[in-house]
Amino acid sequence: MSRWIAPAAAVALLAAVSVGVIVAAQAPEPTSAERADAIARELRCPDCQGLSVADSPTLPAAEIRRQIDEQLAAGASPDEVRAHFVARYGEWILLAPSSPVVWVVPLAVVVVAGAGMIVWLARRRPPAPPAARPDEVLRHRLHDEAEALDA
Amino acid sequence: MTPKGLRWLLVPLLVVPLGWLLFTGFGRDPREVASPLIGKPAPDWTLTTLDGEALSSADLAGRPYVLNFWASWCIPACVDEHPVLASAHDRHGDDLLMIGVLYQDAPADAEGFLAHYGDAGYPHVIDDGGRLAIEYGVTGPPETFFVDADGIVRDKQFGPLTDELMADRLGAILGAASR
Repeated sequence: MSRWIAPAAAVALLAAVSVGVIVAAQAPEPTSAERADAIARELRCPDCQGLSVADSPTLPAAEIRRQIDEQLAAGASPDEVRAHFVARYGEWILLAPSSPVVWVVPLAVVVVAGAGMIVWLARRRPPAPPAARPDEVLRHRLHDEAEALDA
Repeated sequence: MTPKGLRWLLVPLLVVPLGWLLFTGFGRDPREVASPLIGKPAPDWTLTTLDGEALSSADLAGRPYVLNFWASWCIPACVDEHPVLASAHDRHGDDLLMIGVLYQDAPADAEGFLAHYGDAGYPHVIDDGGRLAIEYGVTGPPETFFVDADGIVRDKQFGPLTDELMADRLGAILGAASR
């Protein structure tokens, strides 16, 4: 077991350092255009198939993008901007659902199924040791044959 | 029942709901969602009609109206429902205002459509930049909104209207007498 401690510690240290680097790299405040882009990527283009407002060249997408810029410039928070479009299109306009249920349920299913699997594996009886019978049979045969020779 | 017997129950228990989910989920248009505007005040607007006159939602106050988002390129759905709108307009006269909203369409093309399929005489507004379509959460023509005399959105039709659907939707905004 102890031979695993050093590599595991190294991996943990590396992970901690990379997380720190990523967080540090993301530290600068996003510009207004970056915030608008982020919202545009989360909103569905109304007249496309599965494209975000950011990825779509259509007129409604361009108008929605313009309204995002306008609202952010007027001091609205990203949540308020999203809510503005949800009030018109419904939750459908969000590419990723906002309800936590849809995120939690699959995770819960995996956890429960994993736990069930572990319990099932743990309770499964180890395979029975091979029966001693062949040896016994062999021994009987040896005995019989020896007796036959003696006779 | 023994645990072994129960295990067989697991299969239908998992397969049936999953199958139902997939079957119902793929059978419907994801855009056909209930409008969050229903029960809320209709958005305000001021736009120019094909005749070049200004028309505003304030001009419609106190009367029920139908707002029909359409386009000359929306074929066949907008062609199919065109006579339905015209006949409802004729039948209800002044009790009901009918307004067409051009959805991403050139005014000249819309005029050509009306010249070809018949102009029932109700106004059509030019939704420049598609702002009104966004206010109403329109995803593609035809979509029709039904607003009552108090200015509240009462119903929405996603896709082409038929006479039956029109009568049904109008029930939400017209008094029983004028239906």
